[in-house]
Amino acid sequence: MSAIFTIAWRDIRATFASPKGCAIFFFFLGFMGTFFYNFLHTFVDMTQRAPMYGGEVPTLEQLLKALFYNLHFILVLIIPAVTMSSFSEERRNQTIRLLQTSPVTATQIVLGKFLATAAILALVLACSAVYPFFIKAFGNPDGSLILTSYLGIFLLMCAQLAFGLWVSSMTTNQFMAFLFTMFGLFLLLILNWLAPSFNSGGVFETVLKYIASTDHLDVFFKGMLTVNDVAYFVCFAALFLFFTNVVLDSQRWR
Amino acid sequence: MIEVSGLTKRFGSVQALSDVSFKVERGQIVGFLGANGAGKTTTMDIMCGCIGADSGSAKIAGYDIMEQPLEAKKRLGYLPDIAPLHTEMRVADYITFAARLHKVPNSQLVKQVDETLDRLSLGDVRHRLVGNLSKGYRQRVALAQAIVHNPDVLVLDEPTEGLDPNQILHIRELIKSLAGQHTIILSSHILSEVQNTCDRIIIIHNGTVVQQGSVEELASQAQSGRVYRLRVARNVDQLLPVLGAIGQIVAPRLVDKVSGELEFGLVKGADEHVVDEVSKLVVNGGYGLRELALRAHSLEDVFFQLTH
Repeated sequence: MSAIFTIAWRDIRATFASPKGCAIFFFFLGFMGTFFYNFLHTFVDMTQRAPMYGGEVPTLEQLLKALFYNLHFILVLIIPAVTMSSFSEERRNQTIRLLQTSPVTATQIVLGKFLATAAILALVLACSAVYPFFIKAFGNPDGSLILTSYLGIFLLMCAQLAFGLWVSSMTTNQFMAFLFTMFGLFLLLILNWLAPSFNSGGVFETVLKYIASTDHLDVFFKGMLTVNDVAYFVCFAALFLFFTNVVLDSQRWR
Repeated sequence: MIEVSGLTKRFGSVQALSDVSFKVERGQIVGFLGANGAGKTTTMDIMCGCIGADSGSAKIAGYDIMEQPLEAKKRLGYLPDIAPLHTEMRVADYITFAARLHKVPNSQLVKQVDETLDRLSLGDVRHRLVGNLSKGYRQRVALAQAIVHNPDVLVLDEPTEGLDPNQILHIRELIKSLAGQHTIILSSHILSEVQNTCDRIIIIHNGTVVQQGSVEELASQAQSGRVYRLRVARNVDQLLPVLGAIGQIVAPRLVDKVSGELEFGLVKGADEHVVDEVSKLVVNGGYGLRELALRAHSLEDVFFQLTH
């Protein structure tokens, strides 16, 4: 256990020792702030106009939902940047030799790296909570909805990180790791919309829609917690962490 | 302490190692000598569990590196050919990280890190970033990483590569001072280095061990077939067959006709009086003796013979 923390702690410190850590915070919170400002503006605008034109008044929950949907997009851009270096940089610099010749297992290395990236992004997520709590402070949205949404986003983030780590473990080129991770995560995001064009109404469509992350996330955004959807993200993360473990372990006997 | 038997490794179509076997006893310093691309790094990577072998096994302190990697790696310090340095860390932090990874107990962590830094005279730079250090310091940091947990076995891959002569001397002294408590295997393609530091030498060529033994054994092997160099003033080509007629002389060979140089060897166990005969022959035959010398014998010859 201590080996996992040793590896994770080093990675966290390394991220913040370079401008990378700041850049992640800057872009994540910058994006989110811009979206927040925009959405809030639209929200206020629509609220004022609604009585005039007889439309429905938008709810604060809708505003929050829009915000969280955007978090998903931002994560697709940010996650690859965080995970791309995890293994590929170490392999390129040969610093991975230090881990490989230490009395630690491949599983400990993978979990250490995962913990480090998850901790960094959890910190960013925690900072981003300022926007929903701003809404909470000046309005009265459903508080539990904010909490379940954040739990959903956190679980999604863990699943995406696991995928990113797996890609990173297979290449020594950070750029390739970034590109493939982003492509994979983007595919996962749009799979829901693509599914009908592959096999409309068939079993395959149902399967594809289940694999896509969006539907599962929607449940959290509605303020619900289901075993089914929590299990989806946990299994997703576990599966790709296992793949990463296999890749890393295979270097010992390949 | 180190037991390597029958290692075979193939990278695609290239046979990197074929049946490499050797043993290193406790407390010895062993030199692993070979030209570039002979298979030194591959062997060391396999020994340290970085890559797998196609067949064969490597045991560190009695533990098989593939079967019981954790136990074996606890007793192992490795300095790879490319130092595994995290350039964004401070020296002391980096060594502490390496110590933690190698399961140094928390109670001894500070003491052992300080001792290691002192031992490698890194105290002055302990708060500097590894990336800002010069090559010599970096190599010392990399060495510190390998010895901080007091491993039984130290594997050093070309520890003095790319250093200036003073630094080479320093690292060499260090390695010598580590002998006794650690079993050390170090690789190099520079013979004099291995000759100076090591008790035993293993010569590897094209992925096979071609020779192993103590420095003296290998040197005496070079002595056994002595080669002399002879330079005369004139008629060197006429001298050649005459020399060949003398018993106990083998393979006389013209080196340079213009300068009148030739070489001849003595058969194994030959009497050195033969040299008297040769000089008499040259002087009396009017060839004009200019030079007659024993060609300097060193491990260089053994190395050259084995790897060409």
